[in-house]
Amino acid sequence: MTARIVMKLDVVERTELGDDVARLVFRHPRRPTLAAWTPGAHVDLRLPDGKVRQYSLIGDPDDLATYTIAVKREASGRGGSRLVHEALCVGAVAHVSAPRNNFPLAPGRAVLIAGGVGATPLISMARELVRRGEDFAFHLCVRTADSPFAIMAEAVAGERLSVHASSGEGARRLDVAALVAGLAPDVHLYCCGPDRLTAAVAEAAEGRDEDTVHFEVFAATADENYKPEPFDLTIASTGRTYRVPAERSALDVLREEGFALPSSCELGVCGSCECGYTQGTVIHRDVVLEPSARQHRMMPCVSRARVAVTLDL
Amino acid sequence: MGWRGTLLSIHIAPAASYEMEELEEAELVAGKGIVGDRYFYGTGTYSPKPDAREVTLIEEEALDALAADDPPMQGAPIALGHDEHRRNLTVRGVPLNHLVGWRFRIGDCVLAGGRLNFPCKYLEEILGKPVYLPLYNRSGLNCWIETGGIIRKGDVIEPLDERTEKPNRAFPSRDVRTS
Repeated sequence: MTARIVMKLDVVERTELGDDVARLVFRHPRRPTLAAWTPGAHVDLRLPDGKVRQYSLIGDPDDLATYTIAVKREASGRGGSRLVHEALCVGAVAHVSAPRNNFPLAPGRAVLIAGGVGATPLISMARELVRRGEDFAFHLCVRTADSPFAIMAEAVAGERLSVHASSGEGARRLDVAALVAGLAPDVHLYCCGPDRLTAAVAEAAEGRDEDTVHFEVFAATADENYKPEPFDLTIASTGRTYRVPAERSALDVLREEGFALPSSCELGVCGSCECGYTQGTVIHRDVVLEPSARQHRMMPCVSRARVAVTLDL
Repeated sequence: MGWRGTLLSIHIAPAASYEMEELEEAELVAGKGIVGDRYFYGTGTYSPKPDAREVTLIEEEALDALAADDPPMQGAPIALGHDEHRRNLTVRGVPLNHLVGWRFRIGDCVLAGGRLNFPCKYLEEILGKPVYLPLYNRSGLNCWIETGGIIRKGDVIEPLDERTEKPNRAFPSRDVRTS
């Protein structure tokens, strides 16, 4: 999770695709082009009540003038999609972050597996795979074959799309285990959909090279209910251990003990106080560190640990 | 101090991380900030930390230097627009680094230099441009508003040759963070 600019974009098109799915197109009021993105990327939508929700971009990445998303109104969801449906009409202003891609397409053959609205990032991937002339298959699980996601996916993937409807005429569920078992080891597997589907794919893909299995998971935004707990902090060079109480930061405790780490924002955004750690489970709460760095680096101004951590100091 | 500068542009952002928006004129409120800006509302990235940040300024001369890759420490020229650097006021002809602890005038308003702005990784992250090192020591000035009012693009900026009573880093008997 890294910091991204938030733009106030105009909703310039809204199309009801049926089945409570709306397609929304955003344009910047002043800039002719928006930040570039790659298939699999998403934007954050900041909703009027302060919630933040992630939506995959489904338009053509070559069209830098607009961003397009599809939002299904989920009656049983956390309320985000209902707000989007109510608030974002043509002429409204949407608060949209710059895109980020946690689900990029690797080179090579691909099998895309989606359930329902999980089709959105894979539709962009399918368009790119067609463009590359890559060998791929797209399996889409939907309730009925006339789902708007099936129609959008077919427009992009054509005969490479297999629609697996769970009800209605010609219903046939996807046999995930058989599909994954039949794949060559070098084929990349991309999955986005409800927990049941991703769990089935994860189980079927056990034993495969994990670099070939890709999931898109939209985690609930951090911090809404975060409750700090005390933990122990050990200094690697001296072996001494200090207690960090729930109401204080590790940086504060370090400072008190004479460790003068540079610091500026003390909010996890500036990156000044970064330090290494060797042991322990760190609860990362900053927005600066790249995911790969989080295995061994932390920001002690906001990040904490479960029970204990050893710092490289 | 013999100088006379110009206010080139005014930008605000409604909340942390939001794009900066340009204004032709703006209302400064003493002790608070620019009406409409994230630090006026207390919703800025750094709002939870008490600090001189009611208005932030940067020199266009520093942006010119970045655009010219001068000094050549950044690999290539960097175009940093007035709507990108996230300081409120872009000025020309104003020696910002000399104004810590001093009062100066913009139009009818009076500002006081609190401390030098320090470049931040957050800006690099949000822009996707490697500006952290090139902005070092020319990242602008964080100010208090002593006399509020309306400022407009093109306003003249002049020194008042008076020390401020506001907390500042030039006269360390008063800590800028304990205002």
